[in-house]
Amino acid sequence: MRSAAALPFCLALGGCSTVQSALSPAGEQAAQIAVLTWILLGVLGGVLLIVLGALWLAIRGSDNARRLLSADWAVSIGGIAFPAVVLTALLAGGLWLMRPATTDAALTIEVEGRQWWWRVGYVLDDGTRIEAANEIRIPVGQEVDFVLTSSDVIHSFWVPSLGGKLDMIPGRTNRLRLKAERPGIYRGQCAEYCGGPHALMAFEVVALPEADFAAWRQAAGQPVSTVRESGFDVFAAAGCGSCHAIAGTSANGRVGPDLSRVGERRMMAAATMPTSEENIARFIADGQRHKPGNLMPEFDVLTDEQTKTIASYLARLK
Amino acid sequence: MPSARKSALTIRLSGRRILIGLGSLVSLGLVGAGMFAWLGIYNVAASVGHFYVVDRILRFGMENSVKARAPDIVPPDLTDPNLIRLGAAHYYAGCAYCHGSPDTPISPIAHSMLPPPPDLGGVERWKDQELFWLVRNGLKYTGMPAWPGPSRDEEVWAAVAFLRAMPGMNRAQYTRLALGDVEIAAQSGEEIATGEGPSDAVQACARCHGGGAKGPESDLVPVLHGQPADMMVQALRDYAAGRRPSGIMQAATSGLTEREMVQLATYYAGLTPLRPEGAPGETDSRVERLVAEGDAARNIPGCVQCHDNRALPLYPRLAGQSARYLEGRLTAWRAGLRGTSATDAIMAPIAGRLTPEEISRIAQHFARQPAAGESAVR
Repeated sequence: MRSAAALPFCLALGGCSTVQSALSPAGEQAAQIAVLTWILLGVLGGVLLIVLGALWLAIRGSDNARRLLSADWAVSIGGIAFPAVVLTALLAGGLWLMRPATTDAALTIEVEGRQWWWRVGYVLDDGTRIEAANEIRIPVGQEVDFVLTSSDVIHSFWVPSLGGKLDMIPGRTNRLRLKAERPGIYRGQCAEYCGGPHALMAFEVVALPEADFAAWRQAAGQPVSTVRESGFDVFAAAGCGSCHAIAGTSANGRVGPDLSRVGERRMMAAATMPTSEENIARFIADGQRHKPGNLMPEFDVLTDEQTKTIASYLARLK
Repeated sequence: MPSARKSALTIRLSGRRILIGLGSLVSLGLVGAGMFAWLGIYNVAASVGHFYVVDRILRFGMENSVKARAPDIVPPDLTDPNLIRLGAAHYYAGCAYCHGSPDTPISPIAHSMLPPPPDLGGVERWKDQELFWLVRNGLKYTGMPAWPGPSRDEEVWAAVAFLRAMPGMNRAQYTRLALGDVEIAAQSGEEIATGEGPSDAVQACARCHGGGAKGPESDLVPVLHGQPADMMVQALRDYAAGRRPSGIMQAATSGLTEREMVQLATYYAGLTPLRPEGAPGETDSRVERLVAEGDAARNIPGCVQCHDNRALPLYPRLAGQSARYLEGRLTAWRAGLRGTSATDAIMAPIAGRLTPEEISRIAQHFARQPAAGESAVR
């Protein structure tokens, strides 16, 4: 009853946003959940009205009505048979709507939850992986399987506009199938408290038309940087490569997010600030202010010029 | 009636009256104490000293306080020459003025303090832990200062180790320990001409860190030969500003000017790196991997990306560094030492993720590597 009373409020909130809203589905799985939500809302609203009516009768009704309400058959039907039928129907409906997929997905993407970012790996048909982080590109209209793991604590993967949420549990692999019906940017958020800057652990799913996605995947398989790229020398000498990898160079760290194409991501620091040279420089020198508690130490040792060189190099990786 | 007459002649005790009586006594005492301080009745002159009885009471209280508060910890091996040498060099700079040494008597100025600083020949009566507590915390109202770097217990133990070794030491033994046997090369013509040579300041550094072709006197002290100058200047600034806690180095650097810091750093940066002691030894693939790649699952980055010769000169080079120094530094971070320097912010969390065994093996690994050349990037 309390949740029913809070619903209108939630509906009003959901109306504000389309990038991250379970009530404005942009994919098949999210649409199923939305349907289920509306069914639940309708049925439970009806039940609420019946209960309130019975309550009113019990207090204000005639002696006759009250005698009827307290009869054995009224309790058996209203209190046992009715809830059993309604709940069974809702359960059956829910299970049918959320039945597991039987077809193969067009694409498999591995996502590993880490404190406090997302490691993303596109598994290609030839078995190789494209490494990325904090932004996931998918083709519109194709089923995509997300293979969800965690390397530290429990996280939860949730893109409300595309589907339900699923926990990422250390030592366990969960699978989630999603499909975007129309192009767009859909925001995802860690939905299980995972310590410190949990609230700043987000990501974006970018749904591209199939041809665009194919072109991007082709391009993403090729490194954009070499060790000769200007600025890489400072990046490497500052030790950045011990935590961050950049394809095509000697930087191969796996402690922090892969930066091979960091410049093309719309957002940085796990979708907490827009990607730009200035923001990258801020995050290097002053990251604890922008994302308090994150595991990247502030590199106050670097001169402003060094920081700027590194930021400019990274912003060009696209 | 007898009882009625008796009650008329005596004051009947009641809770209220007891309270009033006590209250009056306390107020009277406070007023008296206030007057005593206000009118300057007490003579604070150090020249006058304490009454014999007061002196005995103060001493009694002090001794019991130290005994009660000394920590219940196991001291390190206080006969370790590395500890004793480091303690000796610090004693020479920080303690000898007041407490005297086999080389110098207690300064007459220090001796006129109240209480006069004791000659430390008599430290036998304190247990190791009590001496440690005294050196670390100092003594109120006596002029005995607390250790400037409050979280550097291993430095305090070095001082304690030296205090244990000093009684019976002759002058030659003491000066060799405290000053080292370092000959700093003569100043260049330009330095002599300008009077801006680094030699005086270097001499102070060289007592612990060595100089020329000679390495540090103690394994607990880092080798500075051939380290990047930028890194050393920043370290000196951090020590002087108290951003990097160390009772020894804060004292050694507080008087240095920026110019002297640069000169010192340049001097040591220009020295030829020392040959590592001992052979490369057996290789341990687990440690090699940790050093080269780190362990991503535990958020440990590799060491060499910041600490080999290709890294920026802001970072120290670890090849050929003293294993005990490296282990001590990492262990202190792991135990929670948090300076406010920029490098502490980077290394302290990483050190905290290493196991003590890994710390020890990493330190051994770098100590056996031959140090080499200059940074590729400036």
